[in-house]
Amino acid sequence: MTTARTLVRPAARSRRRPSRARRTVKRNLTAYGFLCGALICFAFFSWYPIVREVLLSFQKTNFVGEARWVGFDNFRTVFADPGFVDAWVNTAEFTLLALVVGYVVPFAVAIVLNELKHARAYLRFVVYLPVMLPPAVAVLLFKWFYDPGPGLFNQILHAAHLPGLSWLDSTSTALVSLVIVSTWMNLGSGTLIYLAALQTIPGELYEAAELDGAGLFRRIRHITIPQTRLILLVMLLLQIIATMQVFIEPYLLTGGGPEGSTVTVAYLMYQYAFNFTNFGGGGALGLMLMLVLMVFSAVYLRVSREEAR
Amino acid sequence: MRSRILATALAAALGATVAGCGGNGSGGKDTAPLDAGTKVSITVGCMPAKSQAAQRKEWLEDVAAFQKLHPNITVEGKDAFPCIDPNTFQAKLAGGQMEDVYYVYFTDVRGIIANGQAADITPYIGQSKEYPNLDPAVEKVFKNGGKVYGLPRQNYSMGLFYNRTLFKKAGLDPERPPTTWAEVREDAKKISALGDGTVGYAEFSAKNQGGWHFATSIYSQGGDMVTADGKKTAFNSPQGKAVLQNLKDMRWTDDSMGSKQLLVDADVQRMMAAGKLGMYLGAPDNATALVDQFKGKYEDYGMAPIPGSAGTLMGGDGYLFSPKASPEKIKAGLMWLDYAMLTPGQGQLNYARAAKDGRPVGIPQPKLFGQNAVGQQDRQLRADAANLPVANFKPYEDAYGKVPGKLEPPQAQQLYTILDSVVQAVLTRRDANIDQLLADAQKKADAALARSGS
Amino acid sequence: MNETRTLVSPHTLGTRRGKAIYWTTLVSIVVIFTFVFVFPLYWMVTGAMKSPDELADVPPGVFPRHFDLSGYREAWRQLDLGLYLRNTLVYALGAWLFTMGVDVTAAYALSKLRPMFGRAVLGLMLATLMIPPMVILLPAYLTVKDLPLFHVNLLNTPWAIWLPAAANAFNIFLLKRFFDSIPTELLQAAEVEGASPARILWSVVLPVSRPILGVVSIFTIVNVWRDFVWPLLVLPDSQRRTISVAISSLAVQVPQNVLIGSLVIASVPTIVVFFVFQRHIMAGLTAGGLKG
Repeated sequence: MTTARTLVRPAARSRRRPSRARRTVKRNLTAYGFLCGALICFAFFSWYPIVREVLLSFQKTNFVGEARWVGFDNFRTVFADPGFVDAWVNTAEFTLLALVVGYVVPFAVAIVLNELKHARAYLRFVVYLPVMLPPAVAVLLFKWFYDPGPGLFNQILHAAHLPGLSWLDSTSTALVSLVIVSTWMNLGSGTLIYLAALQTIPGELYEAAELDGAGLFRRIRHITIPQTRLILLVMLLLQIIATMQVFIEPYLLTGGGPEGSTVTVAYLMYQYAFNFTNFGGGGALGLMLMLVLMVFSAVYLRVSREEAR
Repeated sequence: MRSRILATALAAALGATVAGCGGNGSGGKDTAPLDAGTKVSITVGCMPAKSQAAQRKEWLEDVAAFQKLHPNITVEGKDAFPCIDPNTFQAKLAGGQMEDVYYVYFTDVRGIIANGQAADITPYIGQSKEYPNLDPAVEKVFKNGGKVYGLPRQNYSMGLFYNRTLFKKAGLDPERPPTTWAEVREDAKKISALGDGTVGYAEFSAKNQGGWHFATSIYSQGGDMVTADGKKTAFNSPQGKAVLQNLKDMRWTDDSMGSKQLLVDADVQRMMAAGKLGMYLGAPDNATALVDQFKGKYEDYGMAPIPGSAGTLMGGDGYLFSPKASPEKIKAGLMWLDYAMLTPGQGQLNYARAAKDGRPVGIPQPKLFGQNAVGQQDRQLRADAANLPVANFKPYEDAYGKVPGKLEPPQAQQLYTILDSVVQAVLTRRDANIDQLLADAQKKADAALARSGS
Repeated sequence: MNETRTLVSPHTLGTRRGKAIYWTTLVSIVVIFTFVFVFPLYWMVTGAMKSPDELADVPPGVFPRHFDLSGYREAWRQLDLGLYLRNTLVYALGAWLFTMGVDVTAAYALSKLRPMFGRAVLGLMLATLMIPPMVILLPAYLTVKDLPLFHVNLLNTPWAIWLPAAANAFNIFLLKRFFDSIPTELLQAAEVEGASPARILWSVVLPVSRPILGVVSIFTIVNVWRDFVWPLLVLPDSQRRTISVAISSLAVQVPQNVLIGSLVIASVPTIVVFFVFQRHIMAGLTAGGLKG
């Protein structure tokens, strides 16, 4: 960085400069020249679709003729669908389950990993490995493991002299099974982020607490957690946002079954649009999901801005 | 993009020609053959994929021969495997991504026509010489309100597919497959008693296939999916209950249906090919999938008419035309379909060539022409070239025509989604209440039918 | 790595009991992790070497009976995986090029050229972070199907992957934050020398931004590779699918061992990338995660 100053030569300074206004115009033009690619991409693929979602949810269209305005018809159709409430319940349940497992476990794992002085690189590598698999691969792999007959999981249970489960084939376990896959393939990123956060905690804090006679769990409660509070909050929101959009798991594992017990809102939206050719109904669902997620996202942005400070 | 411009140019050119000739102002019937000087290029769906080497070779031969016959027509096949991925088919359709001549299942034809996603080809149907010879029951699938929208490629009626080797192992006579549902249940029990993960009878219950097979089963019991006018459902009936009760008994009382459920066709075929499954409902062409994709052996399989035999589901596939296709494209497409799909001894019906290419011949499918002379000729050609143990399909073939074939219900996919849940409940919950399930399903399905206004 | 004091003091670890607990924990963690995260992959790799009959065995064998690679060969041949890997590579590299071209210039403009309404533009871009892609799936699909103003259908073209990939607010945010930290004097010096903004970006900003460019590049490529539902919808043509979409729809049509073989082949590229760029990926993860 020190070389920067030496680059400034007196000769250059003395060069005549164009007027201030002209420079401003020129700078703005150049800036927007640089920005135009991004502006176009955002306009077409982010901003416009958001507006279009709202329009779509109030229209009926089959793509052959012109779209018609139908007021709240699409919402009425969707509300009247008995699967609608179920889908929200399933989504909420999935999100909660995923939080219990996928939120607490990585933090605990990170705390333990942070204490270990050996095999660190290996453990980090291994925990992140599933994250690098394409999700479709991870999901199809687990579909095979879940086979109640020769599938890996029931075979492990049998080896331990436990009764096998029906996994995806029962309304009581199907959703949990989806959460397990989802957690397995996403655990690594959470763990590594927590690990990084843990490493920023000054050692003196623990030392002082120990001198005060604080035991292991008190130290976790009074130092580790408060010190990582913001990142914990950020991750909580990020995870809620991520899990509420769950799609690939029900799409590839259960097709929403058994008896609709794994139909999530995102999956129902897809079904409306592409199985029932009702884009209006799908748009209505998308809009509702968007509003709900925006609330979480707004909180998230606030928190993360606070954290960045 | 380019093809669209080309089409527009062609249409304009044709418009000029027609105007020049004074036009044919008659009531929309355009029986004029395609002018040999008009260059037309059509895209056609469901060309065999690279992994199906023999079929692909035959397709390409057919295209070459056809184009030699009609030098002005270019047929551009679009390959895919499988030809329809039910998950993305609707998306493709909605996205206007279909070929000029696109491939469909019977299941979807009605909905597609209702949505205006297929061209009316009535005025040009004369281009298909074999069209008048089609079995009216098959032809009906592509008709709506007196208008014609497409042509069939394959058709089938569902029967009972069974594993002869497992029958023998279980001490059953492979020459005498079960003819009633009670017998199916008995035999399934004996087969699953073989142990080692062997399943007696398997049923689909996911991806709308559960509903599809429920329809098949209720037909076999003499029941129906919808009322005659198609406005109300009819599956909440003693026959519907019998179907579910039978599944429930096999699944929970006899434990002859294995523990893995939410199966789809590929899962079941995989079990069959691995020699772990006794019976399931299917069409004759399942034998091809079992052997080509899952490495099974033809000798192992046999086919019987559907148990109960009060009726069976008739299904199949065929081609519709893009609503954007110009009259020239439609004419050319009809000529191609006529050449490659519907003429005995030619294209897909060229059994001698198929046998020479090492493909299995002798499966009683398709049956496009019914009992007329063309049908006779087709059957004779197939019998002459057969290289399979055709006797294994004899029970099924003998009953063909005696078991009334029924088409799929309107709003098929929506009804199937609803009934999938019902079948899933019966197969995954020991305490499933059949009456309640059917009553709930009826409510939902009636609402779906009412919404669609059909 | 310098050892800072963590939860457990080095003193406690030094005691006999501490040591015993430490080593027990270490060994059990290593064993558990290996079992949970590596064993499934082992099961996958060996599963493809078993025959379909063998895969139906109860209980299954821990090792395949024969060392047989035909499952992989069949997967490659029957499912035409080469084609799909190539497709995915084209989509990923194209998306990378566009992301680089579009997001880097945008972040540079917002960070260093600071035009009028720059903050508003940035705000609008960041606002899209609040709306996850799944939620606008349908309207985005409809947009690609019939691009407004131009009325071009981008379905089945790589553009449907490339252009939306570039509309990535998170990349712009990361890049801009990094550019903000580049001392202004460095740029002014070049400017005074008469270098154009483009030249400054190319020869001053980019060279010092290598770390962040690396992070953005890897994530862009890996994201395209992992994405599922978007390519499923916008590339319906079976010849243009990505590897993930292709195996999910084709693999059900083949015997079990071939299916598993295709899963292994599909995961090789990302795993290799992970092996090679492990450090960058983990660094980028925390950079993004902490401040994202």
